[in-house]
Amino acid sequence: MNLQQLIVIFIIIILPISLILTSYVQNQVKTLELQISYDTKLTNATYDALKAFQLNTVNSSTSDLANSKMRDIEAAVNTFFNSVANNFNMAGYNQDILKDYVPAIVFTMYDGYYIYSPFTNTLTSEDYTTSSTYQNGETVTSLKPYIFYSCRYVTGNIDVVITYSLDNYITVQGTINNQSVYRYGYLLDNITGDYDPNTNSNSIRYREIPITTENLTEYVDDSYENTNYTKVNGVKYYLDSSNGRWYSRINDQKYYQGIEYKTENDSALRYYDEAKDFTNWVRTNLGDLRVTDAVFENGESTKQFENEDGSNVNQSLAEREQWGNLKIFESDTNTSIEDPDSNFNQHRLQVIRYSIEKNLSIAIANYNNYDGGNSNNFLMPELQENEWERILNNVSIISFLQGLNIGGKIYNGYSIVTNTKTEEVVNTDSIYITTSDGQYHRATDIELVGNTNITRSVF
Amino acid sequence: MNMGDTVIVVVVILLGAVLLFIFPLMTMADNTDDIAQLTVEAATTEFGNDIRTTGKLTMDKYSKFVETLSSTGNSYDIEMQIQVLDENPSKKTTQAESTKIGENVYYTMYTSQIFDIINPSSGETKTLALKEGDIFVIIVRNSNTTLSQQLKSFLYSVTGNDAYVIGTEQAVMVTANGSGN
Repeated sequence: MNLQQLIVIFIIIILPISLILTSYVQNQVKTLELQISYDTKLTNATYDALKAFQLNTVNSSTSDLANSKMRDIEAAVNTFFNSVANNFNMAGYNQDILKDYVPAIVFTMYDGYYIYSPFTNTLTSEDYTTSSTYQNGETVTSLKPYIFYSCRYVTGNIDVVITYSLDNYITVQGTINNQSVYRYGYLLDNITGDYDPNTNSNSIRYREIPITTENLTEYVDDSYENTNYTKVNGVKYYLDSSNGRWYSRINDQKYYQGIEYKTENDSALRYYDEAKDFTNWVRTNLGDLRVTDAVFENGESTKQFENEDGSNVNQSLAEREQWGNLKIFESDTNTSIEDPDSNFNQHRLQVIRYSIEKNLSIAIANYNNYDGGNSNNFLMPELQENEWERILNNVSIISFLQGLNIGGKIYNGYSIVTNTKTEEVVNTDSIYITTSDGQYHRATDIELVGNTNITRSVF
Repeated sequence: MNMGDTVIVVVVILLGAVLLFIFPLMTMADNTDDIAQLTVEAATTEFGNDIRTTGKLTMDKYSKFVETLSSTGNSYDIEMQIQVLDENPSKKTTQAESTKIGENVYYTMYTSQIFDIINPSSGETKTLALKEGDIFVIIVRNSNTTLSQQLKSFLYSVTGNDAYVIGTEQAVMVTANGSGN
């Protein structure tokens, strides 16, 4: 065989192999590209849902009512599916088909969260007739009932459920020493002094900063005068300086009120005064409460939770605690209860995370029963630590999209978008204090302690 | 030269032609399409973002967009959709579940309806104003047959409406209220 023949045979062998390899590599690249583009599409749709939620809530005065909020969220969900369908237009998926691939959407709020996913409607026979909108046993895709960031604690004479929130506001419900309790408020250290609204005596200081009352003023009318106002039950009342009477404005009409309001706003004082009392109450009654006292809703200890076969599969809440046996509400000279690294805050974040993780994984796993013939096995993806941080500190939307075929793989993606324009919660990071030298400080700024320039706090 | 050698020489020449000419040509044609795809994606994103941030759609913007697209040397089908957010909170429609109120319901304007506003046959062009919360969708596909498609059709034939190689879509939610003329 001469050289020419060898070359021809070599090329005939190598050429198909290289062609196949090229197309294989191209396919892999396509899959990756598709995965990235799907990630983008999902994030876009989640952003759109968030935008719709903001549009619906920010301009609505009733969005703090539960059923109105649920309506706003369901509208945001509709926008999400609309947007997802638009983004997947060229991929050939429409809105109804895509609904089968979205196992859950989570809306985290100030003190709890909603999960949007299918569930079996359960109604007792007296609650519905054959002509009712919903029937018993029917599969409904909607918002599941609101779940609070709460945890139950049982020890000694204490049996309470504590509901946490995105900041230091907590609600305590249950029994302490066989007395039923229902208390709520903000936990704050470093408050000294007292405030009595009746006598107007005020010695409240927070981190050495004297807290004072404030005159709220605003430019209204055509007079360009700084007008005093006060806000009661969501309505602003203005003081007419010409006759000393208060009025509200609706459609540019003044409506004079028969009531006199105070021009001085003492909300800040009341906030600190109540926070001080509440924190003291918590310390007195729940001061010895430890992380290990946490139990499941049914009263079973988190430490001894086992599966039916005796294997300990579910990690207990206490095991997740890097702070182990520490007292939840304890604080010392170096750490205040409102500091990010206090026992309380660390435990609070763990409770919120555990609650979301548990209910979300149940919702996604249950989706396998409702997915209408979709053979994909839905599982909750593992979220990264930094993603949890975003979820635990903000009002946010988490959306999941699973089971779409992207060539060599099955797509399994999620998207987290945090809401920075919301009326749900004010972050400590957004609170600033002005000092008399004209500088702004974060409310938790360490330099504020002992600073004598401070004249006024702004919230 | 015997008969066998002649056959081999012919085969070598054919292989040489394929390797030296057809393959580079195919690769080059593919690359051209890739670059065209990038240009189309960039132009579509820019067009979409412009509408997202200004809330206005005008014939000027559209013509400029088409101009950018045609710089790739292909012709394109451009589909536009505007999904207008219906602000009536208790509207019941056939599209949404009739039992639910307050859904964010959209009604859709398609390409020809958009053109009726921004470039009406009666003459004067107008600005189409969108509001915050509306969704603007644009889909671009090549309508001619590119070189790479022609070469590939030697190997296998692709037919049907979706036989495009350059294509992109964008769906943006408008974030500003645009005002009319």
